[in-house]
Amino acid sequence: MNAKWSIALLFGFCAVLGLLRTDGSLLQIGGKKPVELNFWNGFTGPDGRVMLGMIRDFNEKNPDIHVSMQRMAWATYYNKLMVAAVDDRGPQLFVIHASTLPRMQRAGFLSDLSEMYQGPSRVPTEDFEPYVLQQVKFDGKYLAIPLDIHPQGMYVNTDILKNAGIVDDQGNARPPATREEFLKVISTTKKLGPDNSTNWGFSFTNWQNNFQTLLPQFDGKYVDENGKAALDCPGNIAALKFMAELSKKKLIPPPQTQMGWIGFRQKKVAIAWEGVYMLGDLKSIPDLKYVGCPIPTIGNHEGTMADSHTLCIRKGIPDREREAAKRFIAYLSQHSIDWANAGQVPARRSLRETDAFKKMPVQVAFAKQIPHMMYPPRTPVLFELGLEVGLAVEKVIRGRTTPEEALHIANINTQRVMDRDKAEQASRKVTQ
Amino acid sequence: MTYSKRRGITAWLFLAPYVISFCCFIVVPIVVAMVLSTMQYDLTARDKIQFIGTKNFTDAWGDQYFWMALKGTLHYTVLMVPGLLVAALGMSLGLNALTRGRNTVRALLYLPGMFNVAVTAILWQWFYNNEFGLFNFVLKKLGLSAIPFLSEKGYAMPSIVVMSLWWSLGGTAVVLLAALQQIPRQIFEAAALDGATNGRLLTRITLPQLRPVLLFVVVTNTIGGFQVFAQILMLTNGGPELATRGVVQYIYEQAFNNYRLGYGAAMSWMLFALIAAFGLLQFRIMRRSVA
Repeated sequence: MNAKWSIALLFGFCAVLGLLRTDGSLLQIGGKKPVELNFWNGFTGPDGRVMLGMIRDFNEKNPDIHVSMQRMAWATYYNKLMVAAVDDRGPQLFVIHASTLPRMQRAGFLSDLSEMYQGPSRVPTEDFEPYVLQQVKFDGKYLAIPLDIHPQGMYVNTDILKNAGIVDDQGNARPPATREEFLKVISTTKKLGPDNSTNWGFSFTNWQNNFQTLLPQFDGKYVDENGKAALDCPGNIAALKFMAELSKKKLIPPPQTQMGWIGFRQKKVAIAWEGVYMLGDLKSIPDLKYVGCPIPTIGNHEGTMADSHTLCIRKGIPDREREAAKRFIAYLSQHSIDWANAGQVPARRSLRETDAFKKMPVQVAFAKQIPHMMYPPRTPVLFELGLEVGLAVEKVIRGRTTPEEALHIANINTQRVMDRDKAEQASRKVTQ
Repeated sequence: MTYSKRRGITAWLFLAPYVISFCCFIVVPIVVAMVLSTMQYDLTARDKIQFIGTKNFTDAWGDQYFWMALKGTLHYTVLMVPGLLVAALGMSLGLNALTRGRNTVRALLYLPGMFNVAVTAILWQWFYNNEFGLFNFVLKKLGLSAIPFLSEKGYAMPSIVVMSLWWSLGGTAVVLLAALQQIPRQIFEAAALDGATNGRLLTRITLPQLRPVLLFVVVTNTIGGFQVFAQILMLTNGGPELATRGVVQYIYEQAFNNYRLGYGAAMSWMLFALIAAFGLLQFRIMRRSVA
């Protein structure tokens, strides 16, 4: 066989391989090609596998649509999404946290989904908490469908509590519900471990999230009624003072130990505050006995921080793709009880009332906090605000400064950022 | 067509792939960054981009976080470059003195440099973990107290530098070893016959002979030091208390987390100017001493 024949044969072989692609799109002569939808999200953990299963089910039940999922770490997800979407190259479908919506909304690539809340096969607005719906509404338009709610809650190692004698009448571990109980439990369970290392009653996990978890309990806020930064308001200071007190009294591991969530996983920490989404991680540790509970009332009343994954469609996609994307979103919303298995609380009330959901004890416990939850502020400068809050919390926990001073500085810096953003937007309006 | 014309065309054809990629990925981005640096360009408000002259530069000049990041970058560079130079020189001298197994040792030393920086950082993150890391496990076994490698301001940057040294030492040592092997043996033999000690051989012959290569190592590693990004992002994400956040990370955050591309571009130019100034200064000082 000479060289020409070899090349021709190779070319023919490649052509056949191309025709036999897994989606078989080129072989569908005469048949209608399914609508291809790209769905981006940051579900890189066990939740991603659950979502993949839901997508597989959807694709089977809807042969005229084919959804492909692309997962990437949340840390870089929004950078990629933004760069792709503002240039009309992004996926047709994507997930955005409710707290990130203001930035994405301003970028102008989110499609108005108000129509999905209307008509006979609508996603019913009354099935959602008004507070949650408010997060996806901009200028009277709904730009997303909330898929879930993920509040911060309390994980308790029941073995440690039982060993410390913190039990109820039936001999079950009794998680703390008030400030006094919480302080008592974490002092009682702090003791020297078998290898001379300390076992801790409590450990902060994500310091900034832990602080934000306490804010609603102390009537804290990020911005005041006039839209000015209010990070140094009395409620925020009180919340941070409580955290500083735990550090000062050595009721938490020294800040430099990085114990946190790993400590809870390793059974060296009795109590940790984390999001409901960490449940998937705990499920992978078979001998860890734990329960999920609401955050104890440390402040004036119950409360916690929460956020939602919301489903969005990119603006300007062809009608056929848009209709397919809407069907997919409606499907995910209707079947979000399956999504709850990934360690989430469905955003829809009707699903939270099902027997299937009631069989998920951690999710049910975390869902009890829904009436008292507070989302991060609705601001396009969320990243910069978060950085200031995080820095203030870190400095206080490390004992470098007082809560008052740290939050005052954070407030000045945040106001400066907000003023800059406002000025830039104003100049933008003038030039328009 | 004449021979010289044909030769010229052939030369350009060979060069074309590089020239095209250089223009697309170096020249065009540089020009775009220059234009961007004079613009108020927010990805979330792209409908109206404004020319704002030098405002991004003056804003950066007055930005406390920019100066903090610059301090972090300088801290890294000041620890990294001399550390690398001394360690790599020592290692190359040791390798040069080896009579057997030199190639095997050289290959082993070069091995860490073949890891991706992300892999290296993840690995070292576990080495450094305060409670469950390898280093503190060993320290505790020896009856010593744990060191907060990445979670305490005083330790974080040196720990990052140690990881970077482990990662990049092999490559630099191999370069220096190659240079060492180029020094004629006769010079050493003549000096030894004249009674020169090992110390004098090092200071009077080896180091002066290595100067051009040392200049190259210092300049390239200083540039690399100013551009440090991945290892810091992965090991500490700029913490604790922003103590290890470098300029490149700050630029990245401004451009891609806050979507302020114009501001990020301006800071990139400021960093470029700084690197160029340092590079030129080093080059001049060392070239003078070489001459």
